[in-house]
Amino acid sequence: MTEALFNQMTAAPVANADEINELLRRYGVKFGIYKNGTFKEQLFPFDPIPRIITAEHFREIEKGLIQRVDALNMFLYDIYHEKNIIKDGIVPEDFVYISSGYLPQCEGITPPNKIYSHISGIDLVEGKDGEWYILEDNLRIPSGASYPLIAREFTRVASPKAFSQNNIVDNRNYAKLLKDTLDYSNCGGINAILTPGRYNAAYFEHSYLAEMTDSVLVQNDELFVEDNILYQKTYSGGKTKIGALYRRISDEYLDPLTFEPSSLIGIPNLMEAYRSGNVAVINAPGNGVADDKGIYYFVPKMISYYLGEKAILKNAPTYLPFYDEDKEYVLENIGKLVIKDVAEAGGYGVVFGSELSPEQLEAFRNTIINEPRRFIAQKVIDFCDLPIIDNGETVMRKADLRAFVLSGETTRVWASGLTRFSRNPDSFVVNSSQGGGFKDTWVLSR
Amino acid sequence: MKKVNYTFSTKLTFDNYVYNHSFALRCIPPECEVQHIISCQLDISPFVPTMQTVDAFGNNVTSGYLKSEHRFLDFEISGSAEINSAAERTDFMPCYAYQSKYTKPDDALRSFYAEHKPFCLSEDVFERTAYFSGKLSEVMKYEKNVTDTKTTAAEAFALKKGVCQDFTHIMLSILRMDCIPCRYIAGLACCDGETHSWLELWNGKSWIGYDPTNNCPVSDDYLILSQGRDFEDCAIDRGVMFGAYTKQLQLISSYLTLA
Amino acid sequence: MGTISIEHGDRLFWLGRYTERVFTTLKVLEKYYDKMIDENPQFYVEYLNSFGLSDIYGSSDKFLKSFLYEKENPNSIANSLERAYDNGIVLREEISTDALSFIQMAMDTLEKTKDSSRGLILNLLPLEDILFGFWGCIDDYILDEEIKTIIYCGKCVERLDLYLRLGYDFKAAEAEFARLCKYLARVPKNTPYRYNTKQLSVLVETLGTPEDYRMGKSDAISALGRLFEKLK
Repeated sequence: MTEALFNQMTAAPVANADEINELLRRYGVKFGIYKNGTFKEQLFPFDPIPRIITAEHFREIEKGLIQRVDALNMFLYDIYHEKNIIKDGIVPEDFVYISSGYLPQCEGITPPNKIYSHISGIDLVEGKDGEWYILEDNLRIPSGASYPLIAREFTRVASPKAFSQNNIVDNRNYAKLLKDTLDYSNCGGINAILTPGRYNAAYFEHSYLAEMTDSVLVQNDELFVEDNILYQKTYSGGKTKIGALYRRISDEYLDPLTFEPSSLIGIPNLMEAYRSGNVAVINAPGNGVADDKGIYYFVPKMISYYLGEKAILKNAPTYLPFYDEDKEYVLENIGKLVIKDVAEAGGYGVVFGSELSPEQLEAFRNTIINEPRRFIAQKVIDFCDLPIIDNGETVMRKADLRAFVLSGETTRVWASGLTRFSRNPDSFVVNSSQGGGFKDTWVLSR
Repeated sequence: MKKVNYTFSTKLTFDNYVYNHSFALRCIPPECEVQHIISCQLDISPFVPTMQTVDAFGNNVTSGYLKSEHRFLDFEISGSAEINSAAERTDFMPCYAYQSKYTKPDDALRSFYAEHKPFCLSEDVFERTAYFSGKLSEVMKYEKNVTDTKTTAAEAFALKKGVCQDFTHIMLSILRMDCIPCRYIAGLACCDGETHSWLELWNGKSWIGYDPTNNCPVSDDYLILSQGRDFEDCAIDRGVMFGAYTKQLQLISSYLTLA
Repeated sequence: MGTISIEHGDRLFWLGRYTERVFTTLKVLEKYYDKMIDENPQFYVEYLNSFGLSDIYGSSDKFLKSFLYEKENPNSIANSLERAYDNGIVLREEISTDALSFIQMAMDTLEKTKDSSRGLILNLLPLEDILFGFWGCIDDYILDEEIKTIIYCGKCVERLDLYLRLGYDFKAAEAEFARLCKYLARVPKNTPYRYNTKQLSVLVETLGTPEDYRMGKSDAISALGRLFEKLK
């Protein structure tokens, strides 16, 4: 797409940026954040220049994501049952069992329809070579879909011309996709969204998705398990059976009688109800083993193992010191690589080789030699920056795309996604709690 | 092979009313190669409907929900079983090869292992277990009331004192450092008025029982109630309840006698 | 949906109360302001007296600033709005994002008038419009009658309570009481907002005639406060 065409397509939303932000404010599009121990709600800054994905690009991304998420779901079923992929030597067992996402308590449980990851948030970046690369799979409780979903309502209102003149796929079907996904796995009963409460960073999303999908928004103190059935207490003293629980709390806090005993936000005996097939837990407990840093390397291999296909979307080039030839490469090129500790969760344990002193590099080399299976190393991808408006000027910033893939009767990719950018020109970290913002993501229909 | 009678009872008393009480018991002995359960009766008071499931580790789970106010929860199992500790159990899970929450070694445990490893010359996993257990019993003293159910292997090892749960956790930690898969067993043993715990180690084909507290192999005097990576997977009773209670008192008694 | 949790029941009731507190307080302050323009600049002291508060303000300007904008003042409009929002935010799927947006808008609008040099009433008028918009949403979008009834119970209790405290005349109070009774009758038995018969009969007695009303005002306020007490 030429720059002139791009500017022409995005002129309308840019001209109406103030109106859009006013509407976002009015509709309370916020996320919560703790600063110095007190809870604050912040607006999620919206940048009016949309990310545009051409129809041709999207078709490729869509195919690639469906393939990837299908393979991840098959991997999860395999890991918690026969473990053939380990027996066949495709994935070394250590990478599975030292992962904090692997939960032996889930061994042998078969979730409805064998789906472990119903809502997958796959983070991608567009490389300067024009290819899309997978940065990370998020299968546990990926958040962020609600922001582009509600923002589209306002961009359409504020700049209708942009939508009448360009062929932009309507993304407001997310609620329907999500509802279909919940309904498909529902074991009989209502759909409920479990939130840790109003002081959670993503509370807006929990409540907005509940409203949009006609689900009830629940907290643990209104739920109980009786006869291995999950119920919501009603204020008249009755109870309502829950058939699908879209939980937005992590595995370890889910059931104090199976996982972390000190959890105050979980539901006692939820796992017994789940094991008995009386409720679908969405996403399925234990699915974090598939989005682990150490497992990421093996996803293309999984795709060929389970589907007999070549991976359509590429991983960022990754090396496992666990393998001797990779180890040599990593030790030689450590200064150019990003090293990730697979045992650490979240953003922890990520080291940029270029930021280390010669002594630190030497020490790190020794750590890798001693504990090779603890690390993965990646090349820093040179990915495209996107234009954003900063104090009235257009500047280029790092941005990624979280695509949402929903697995129900079929696997479907939402024709939109969350494009996040970093405000800081030097930062590679695209994170809402660090002052970053988001954009509308336009997928063109032709 | 021995035939035994067993009873095990727990009385949980609160100093104020509690309600919305969810519980999960792992107290019904599993039917397996080393033990044939001839009979098992579970009584819970006050009356509450319960459900039975089998968890990932092969434990019988009895779950229930007591909504109304109560000040105590008692449960008792009793029955008889045929024990044949020489038989081979084969229900392996890969997670048993890895350290778990209670068994993660600290520097002290790592150096204890490193110190004794060069002198442990046998290749046989059972003999290695016996060797390390022997070394452990030279430094660990059995003493009640210095540790509790939250004490980890590293913490108990620092104290050099503890009960069967602590001996078992420390041995699990050492064996896993030695790349021997092993698991925690909660159960009943002859001549012990409370519950007992010991371990099973994997020899590549089947499980072998070993009692680190008494530094001896298990015999037909041991009845398994539950098993898992460590105490947390095996807790015989776990519960969550509401109410203004400040204390709960738990009385346990158990008997395992030759029939 | 047909299911209301205990927590949400309370939230609905208090959402009704706080939103109404904002509206009635707004209306009352306008009335008092009108008197303070030329008749009696100290008239606000009477308002304070109605709630048993002492005059720590010294001037009508300071009084108005505090009762409109000061979030720390528990009787201010800013404070009530914030509490309405706190209750509303957890009720999104019951009351709709649209209804919630009116409370956000009311907060934003109030904030904007803070430093405005325009006349007070002129400033506050849009706020009233917004609140009418909120009630329009509640009326139009909520299909579940039980949910609607709980919010309206809160609204009517709040209005009647303020009318009683501020010494509104019998006719006004009687009309509000009649409205409250209409909603009370719709609350099913054995739910938390089913009325307490004893307290309701106190209200019926004290709001019977203008004479009863004059004598029994404090009894009525207390009965209203205990209207949803559980019968033991």
